[in-house]
Amino acid sequence: MKLKINGEIVDVEVEESMPLLWVLRDELHMTGTKYGCGIAQCGACSVIVDGTVMRSCSLPVGSLENMDIQTIESSDAAGTLSVLQEAWIEKQVPQCGYCQSGMLMAATQLLKDIPAPRDEDINAAMTNICRCGTYNRIRAAIYLAAERLAQAGKAVTIK
Amino acid sequence: MAEKNTKERSSLSKWTRRGFLGIGGLLGLGLVVGVGGLAYVGRSIKKYSGKGMGEGASLNAWIRIAPDNKITLAVARSEMGQGVYTALAQLIAEELEVNFEDVQVIHPQAESPYANTFLSTQKRENAFTGFGPMGKILSFMPVIATGGSTTVIDAWEGMRYAGATAREMLIQAAAKTWDVDASTCKAELGFVINTTSGERLSYGALAESAKDYTLDKLPTLKAKSEFKIVGKPVQRLDIPAKVNGTAMFGLDYKEKDMVYAAVKHAKITGNKITGFKNEEEVLKLPGVLKVVLTEYGKALVYADNSWRAMQAAKSLEVNEEGAQVPDMDSAYYFGEMRRIADEDPISVRIDKGDVQGITNEDVQEGERKLEAYYEVPYLAHACMEPVNATAIMENGNLEAWMGHQAISVAETMLNESSGVAKDKIKINITYLGGGFGRKGEPDFPRLIGAAAKAMQGKLVQMIFSREEDMKNDMYRPGAVCKMSGVVTQDGSLKALQANLAIQSVERQALGRIVPLMAPAAEKAKTTLEGLDNQAYNIPNHRVSFGNFETDILVGFWRSVSYSQNGFFQESFIDELAHAAGKDPLEFRRNMLLDQPRYLNVLDRLKEMSNWGKQEADTYQGIALQYSFESIVAQVAEIKKMGEKEFKIVNYYCVIDCGNTVNPDTIEAQMQSGIVFGLSAAIHGEISWKNGSPVQSNFHDYQMLKMYNCPKITVAIMENNEEPGGVGEPGVPPAAPALTNALFKATGERIRSLPLSKSDYVFV
Repeated sequence: MKLKINGEIVDVEVEESMPLLWVLRDELHMTGTKYGCGIAQCGACSVIVDGTVMRSCSLPVGSLENMDIQTIESSDAAGTLSVLQEAWIEKQVPQCGYCQSGMLMAATQLLKDIPAPRDEDINAAMTNICRCGTYNRIRAAIYLAAERLAQAGKAVTIK
Repeated sequence: MAEKNTKERSSLSKWTRRGFLGIGGLLGLGLVVGVGGLAYVGRSIKKYSGKGMGEGASLNAWIRIAPDNKITLAVARSEMGQGVYTALAQLIAEELEVNFEDVQVIHPQAESPYANTFLSTQKRENAFTGFGPMGKILSFMPVIATGGSTTVIDAWEGMRYAGATAREMLIQAAAKTWDVDASTCKAELGFVINTTSGERLSYGALAESAKDYTLDKLPTLKAKSEFKIVGKPVQRLDIPAKVNGTAMFGLDYKEKDMVYAAVKHAKITGNKITGFKNEEEVLKLPGVLKVVLTEYGKALVYADNSWRAMQAAKSLEVNEEGAQVPDMDSAYYFGEMRRIADEDPISVRIDKGDVQGITNEDVQEGERKLEAYYEVPYLAHACMEPVNATAIMENGNLEAWMGHQAISVAETMLNESSGVAKDKIKINITYLGGGFGRKGEPDFPRLIGAAAKAMQGKLVQMIFSREEDMKNDMYRPGAVCKMSGVVTQDGSLKALQANLAIQSVERQALGRIVPLMAPAAEKAKTTLEGLDNQAYNIPNHRVSFGNFETDILVGFWRSVSYSQNGFFQESFIDELAHAAGKDPLEFRRNMLLDQPRYLNVLDRLKEMSNWGKQEADTYQGIALQYSFESIVAQVAEIKKMGEKEFKIVNYYCVIDCGNTVNPDTIEAQMQSGIVFGLSAAIHGEISWKNGSPVQSNFHDYQMLKMYNCPKITVAIMENNEEPGGVGEPGVPPAAPALTNALFKATGERIRSLPLSKSDYVFV
């Protein structure tokens, strides 16, 4: 079957029931998306599918033909993800780092949906588990990225 | 995409691991610094290969400089988020005189210079020198491990000397080139400068000749006031790769045509798998290649994809046997421990004054006597990255990739299970997706050795499903502690007694790694930490424990014995404070009047938490623990939202860990420790039913999340004391600070965790 991942069409030959996570990791060797629980509890495997954050460990790949799949490996120069990544570095967010791909995917969609989130929006959108407890810094980095994106947006408008 | 090159592996058989800078005859020569590029004083008898450090010249076991000025540092401590790659690089770079941005870090092989001598001897004086009889023994059996919050304590002096001796060697080489006295040269940001002529030579140009220089004495280390990198919040070296998905964890090493092996353990704790019931059917499932029963009583199901392997392992039906108590429930385990807590102990660690006389007889007028039983459950590590390892065995060589906390343990286990000699084993320590003690265990390096041996010539990636990981952990032991105490009429603590019933972590965990080193339970030193090594001045004090034995495997879990003993001690101290009618902070302070560091910590905490001045619906609790050479005190601030519904609004945390290497990492570790402690306090419990663990995944073994994580504010005391640990000390006060605050709010004293069992909800 054909999948559209980060804008590229790739061909994979697997059973339709195989979760997207294992297609990414073991068939395509795209290892940025992580296995944490396999039951959509922890969010380490989060990817964005057609504008919705989904947990790829519980997403049969057969249901995804012709859909836009975005992973941590995607590049969006000066886009939401890269601004978040910069903020993540500036706030020194990751510890072990294993959950952070999923966190960044969730944060990317949050800022696309709600460009100026409040605490409650962050709480509702960021339901992933971080065993190292980086939640305070994730929150700070989301606010920083939101601010930067807002400024960039203004700059564009003024031009 | 993440296809890794395999060039290095093909040269595996050409290793000259011991030969790279093989000078063996220096034993007993005393002060030999930097000879032939070998290490400095006391490390000179130890050898290293420099394997994996890339191009260039090694100035010692830790530093290699390439002609293009690229500086590669060897850090033989596992990076599991606690910032060790950066911290040790900071120590080296400070004295080496280089731009911190110019260094890169690799994890070297299991070679003796990298031993963690503070971890294995618990003596600061051994951390750097490591010589004398102990140093010689340790150079033959190096413990190269990351744990016990020891990394910076062990490295504090040694890594700065590693940088300083290399710098002096570079200066000597430059002085020779210019034919001037070395004292007229200085090192600055990767160059040696001739202060007379102004000429400059880069480290890259000098390294090749510098490696052969010797020093006749140890260089003088910088004073703290001269530090430019140490003690500064530099950005962590590992973070950029952790925000774009390129950081390599154990499961991320991939090659074409690799295979996957899912691990299946026996269902009943203590059992081993003895055979299969439906092997033929499982072999017919999609992608399945092979089913193997290992000599460890665990099965491996090989397939061409992790998911197919895990699905097949789930459907594999097995025969199993061996457990001492095959059908036991938690009620049995805790019944036994309650009985033991009431009995005479097997070991008394503190026996000061006349505790038993005082607590057994009737209290005197005006005094108050308290007695209480505390309980905590077994806990899983639940690292975000489930246990895994990857390896290939071919042509008598073995190469492995894994996030292990102790490369020396991993090497020993790979050797044991694969039969490949240690000098034909190469281990690539990857980033760890959480460690917390679990990743120092020998089970998974042992299993991957067996897995690679059973499928030679193929790269095998072995994975525990989350369920296998959670049900086959080496758990933080459950425990029962009987506490009793007496407070006087004037409100001071007269007597305190603790009798703990628990499985011995130290005995079991060391026994799994080096059976000969496993102490008898009554000799295990660490069982009572948190109860027997706190600073409070208590006139009559007795601390003891009784041993509980069962099939459950227990192991080192972030902060180890402090994780439960801190809860027992600091909860009961709080009970006694309230019984004495005293403010809990002042009650503690009054027992620490001769301990200025503690008083400073408490005073700082009182100020930053605005202690005792809350709004009507907001409550505070305090807890204080010394652990791993650091002092940490915390205040939990909670807001009442409903009868048993609370919001944890703030945590205030003060740490005195002496000299600091990276304050930003220390703040992060305090936040991390508090979240780890709160997840356990609120949700954490592994219980047993019919001989098996009940909890299996994050739906029934829950964690704190963004919505209920408090704002955590951290203060680090400034002083010039010896450095202490930071990876674990944030954990122990977290639970008692919260339950002490709940007591203030509700009047209910929490003596059993987790709080979810007492119907508390945190929103």
